[in-house]
Amino acid sequence: MTENEATMTNGANPPQPKGFASRPSITEGRIAELRAKNEPAFVGYLPYGFPTPATSLDAFRTLVDNGVDIVEIGLPYSDPVMDGPVIQKASGIALRAGEKIAGVFDAVETVAKAGGVPLIMGYWNLIFHYGVLRFARDFANAGGAGLVTADLIPDEAGEWIEASDRYGLDRIFLVSPASTDERLKVVARNTRGFVYASARMGVTGERASLDQTPERLVERTREAGAPNVCVGIGVSTPEQGAEIGKYADGVIVGSALVHSVLDDPGFAKLATVTAGLADGIHNARK
Amino acid sequence: MSTVLDSLVAGALADQKAREEKLPFDELKRLVEADIYEPLDVRGYLRRPDSVPVIAEVKRASPSKGFLGEIPDPGALAAEYEKGGASAISVLTEGRVFLGSFDDLDKVRAAVSIPVLNKDFITTDYQVYEARLHHADLLLLIVAALDDATLKHLLDLTHELGLVALVETHTRDEINRAIAAGARIIGINARNLKDLSVDTDKYRELAENLPDDAICVAESGVFGAIEMQDYARAGADAVLVGEGVATADDHVLAVQRLVEAGKTVKESNAEPLSQHEGPYFGQYGGRYVPEALVGALDELERVYNDAKNDPTFMQELRRLNKEYVGRPSPLTAAPRFSERVGEAVGAPVRVFLKREDLNHTGAHKINNALGQALLVKRMGKHRVIAETGAGQHGVATATVCAMLGLKCRIYMGQIDARRQALNVARMRLLGAEVVEVTNGDMILKDAINEALRDWVTNVEDTHYLLGTVAGPHPFPQIVRDFQKVIGEELRDQIKDYGIEYPDAICACVGGGSNAIGVMNAFLDDPRVNLYGFEAGGRGPASGEHAIRLSEGTGQLGMFQGAKSYLLEDSEGQTLSTYSISAGLDYASVGPEHAWLRDIGRVNYGYATDEEAMSAFKDLCETEGIIPAIESSHALAGCYKAAADLVKRGYKNPVIVVNVSGRGDKDVATAGKWFGYLTDEQSKALETNGAHGTETDKKD
Repeated sequence: MTENEATMTNGANPPQPKGFASRPSITEGRIAELRAKNEPAFVGYLPYGFPTPATSLDAFRTLVDNGVDIVEIGLPYSDPVMDGPVIQKASGIALRAGEKIAGVFDAVETVAKAGGVPLIMGYWNLIFHYGVLRFARDFANAGGAGLVTADLIPDEAGEWIEASDRYGLDRIFLVSPASTDERLKVVARNTRGFVYASARMGVTGERASLDQTPERLVERTREAGAPNVCVGIGVSTPEQGAEIGKYADGVIVGSALVHSVLDDPGFAKLATVTAGLADGIHNARK
Repeated sequence: MSTVLDSLVAGALADQKAREEKLPFDELKRLVEADIYEPLDVRGYLRRPDSVPVIAEVKRASPSKGFLGEIPDPGALAAEYEKGGASAISVLTEGRVFLGSFDDLDKVRAAVSIPVLNKDFITTDYQVYEARLHHADLLLLIVAALDDATLKHLLDLTHELGLVALVETHTRDEINRAIAAGARIIGINARNLKDLSVDTDKYRELAENLPDDAICVAESGVFGAIEMQDYARAGADAVLVGEGVATADDHVLAVQRLVEAGKTVKESNAEPLSQHEGPYFGQYGGRYVPEALVGALDELERVYNDAKNDPTFMQELRRLNKEYVGRPSPLTAAPRFSERVGEAVGAPVRVFLKREDLNHTGAHKINNALGQALLVKRMGKHRVIAETGAGQHGVATATVCAMLGLKCRIYMGQIDARRQALNVARMRLLGAEVVEVTNGDMILKDAINEALRDWVTNVEDTHYLLGTVAGPHPFPQIVRDFQKVIGEELRDQIKDYGIEYPDAICACVGGGSNAIGVMNAFLDDPRVNLYGFEAGGRGPASGEHAIRLSEGTGQLGMFQGAKSYLLEDSEGQTLSTYSISAGLDYASVGPEHAWLRDIGRVNYGYATDEEAMSAFKDLCETEGIIPAIESSHALAGCYKAAADLVKRGYKNPVIVVNVSGRGDKDVATAGKWFGYLTDEQSKALETNGAHGTETDKKD
């Protein structure tokens, strides 16, 4: 217990992060601020690198400028099993445009500078391949808040739990309407930031109508111990946002935003759609 | 050598002298003699067959990190560690730098029933007696702080008083000194001094050649699951953790996570190999899936475990295997093929063929499809989805669904559907809906992605009948169990030829189900050499292949639910694969194969398109058997295995090749390859209208 520590005291080596980074959760902080105003958070998703790595930075700024509180920056992946056709298409466009994972931290900085809370949504192999501790370090250094893991359940997340503890990053795990109470507890216990509740079974994509399950799922997830629950997957209109925002801590919209960029790569439509959603979501309880 | 250590020792000694002023040594000895506490049998706590015991430390500060945090109630903290599954509690009694005290030790002792370690800079008899008086079961001795004589003396005294010592070492020399002094529990400090990460190579080097009865405790640098797994894989018996548990928000959870991580490593290496259970095969496998699927995977595992212990279920499976599938599949001697192989390698060999091609539907795939379909009935689900590459698994699934009255949808990549048009037609004849997948590379992996998306959406009434030993747990285990009948039959059938056991078995490896099926019964029999052959495509240098297990090809990654070897680019994106054989054209490989490769139980090689097609023709001409192109990779591998065996001194070796499927479906491809069909004729076969619905046109 002494020799290595002696070396460290002499300052010969770069310091290891000091145990648990006990910095408060950035995401929870923002949700609390909004709650004080009786507003749910607007969480907006776009893939990094779409339509190109450079222009996607403008897209992220557009999101924040038009009312997105928390930005979910997607990492394009060749095999996105949780994504429907719209996001699959956008990911493909980004990959063909030469998207590289190292560039995603530019997007993180952009969002943070614009005043949004930067999250990354990534399929686990990308982060594992980059190096989990290295990813956590670079992400935290860029001002990142936390990671949404689409295909990593808490049971397999040992390495990420350790890395996120060391760098004070939020861990956003998902639950679905099919999750048992036992699973909800496992997820709630390991999550920091918010629990991501799927509005319906299935992959990402726009839906004209939603069934009753999200509200019940939000209740059950809270009962399982989660302080913050945001709802996504299948939410695409201001009306849906206003409805869900009545009871959820945040509303997550992805495909509708991606769709507007596919329609208009100049981001004018993205700005309009985002502003409309922000209006619906932020006024949900008013 | 270490001034920090010198000053810590000096400080501890001065503090001890101060305590001795108040409580003279003789009196301390009398108190110890009168004490009735019986120290716990520490060794039993620190070495377990099924877990890696955690020694959790009550720690306020350290020289390197400074102040870590207040611990107002050490007893309560220790009780939380115990609740989380700690096997022992370490308490620092050094007060100057570590801010500990004997008061802490007393509080911890009173709060827990597991062994307590007194961690201090112990250099005197007095300190050993103190540890005993405060009811520690274990104390720390630091080799670097003691000369040989003192070390031996303190160690003997410790044992005399009924305690044991954790003897801390940093170098091989110190380990030798500790052992010479009679240490039984060795603490090994194996941090990389550059970045203070755990250096498992250094640990292995230090822990090498220790006496069997020595317990190794990995003593520093453990923060969480990463280091726990590293040390456990490097062979540590137990680990000591300070900061990683002391500074956690939830101490119970922090210890639990470590204990779970240790258990996982122990279980993942369990033998016998043939009965190994998931979710992990070595470090491979697991469940890298969306949370939405966890319920369905849990249910499948539960229903499967229940079914395999239900004689009625197993009897029904056996009955259908016999009456419907036509099992057992024959074992055929192949004398003329043997001759051809023998000529090629310059020595006689005896080749036998395990004839999975003679099963109903023409491949081994039905073994698994039937078993899982019976599970679907048992789960009360009505809809089945499946992926298919060559179409064999799709056909098998469509077949059993027709027989059992289940609704069936098959996903197939468009490229595969085009090269296996006849199988598409077969599936439709059997009443299945075939969805042609036009995403991604339009091959097997893309069909699996689409099937997973369907499953995530319809999981309540749908079963995903996965066709190979890949994907998330419990699939690799279930598929293996339904396929292992191949090897079990072989083990008996070879005896009918007057042969005790085969010298070698050859199989092709895509996902790996036929290979696991034929090899499982022999995994624990070292007399049987096992060879697996991947699809070499146009060769490893071309980049157009599906070789995952050879040096310089696959990398460790997570793909479609499991951790295994994976063909990926520098960004972690899945690489396109290529093979003439649709059934082997997959970017990853079953996790059990990844494990069997790492532990050296199976030799993995590859056969190129060219080699496979040459072996295809050899078998056709010599034995009158048209094999599937997939199986032809195993036949091509037979030449390589034969050469290897002959080189290693085997005389007239017995080699069994698993002919996993028949080649009727491949006649168009082969006809084109060998020039028996004109371009127009093969084109006509490729666009004969037997295709399925395209993905974007489905409902």
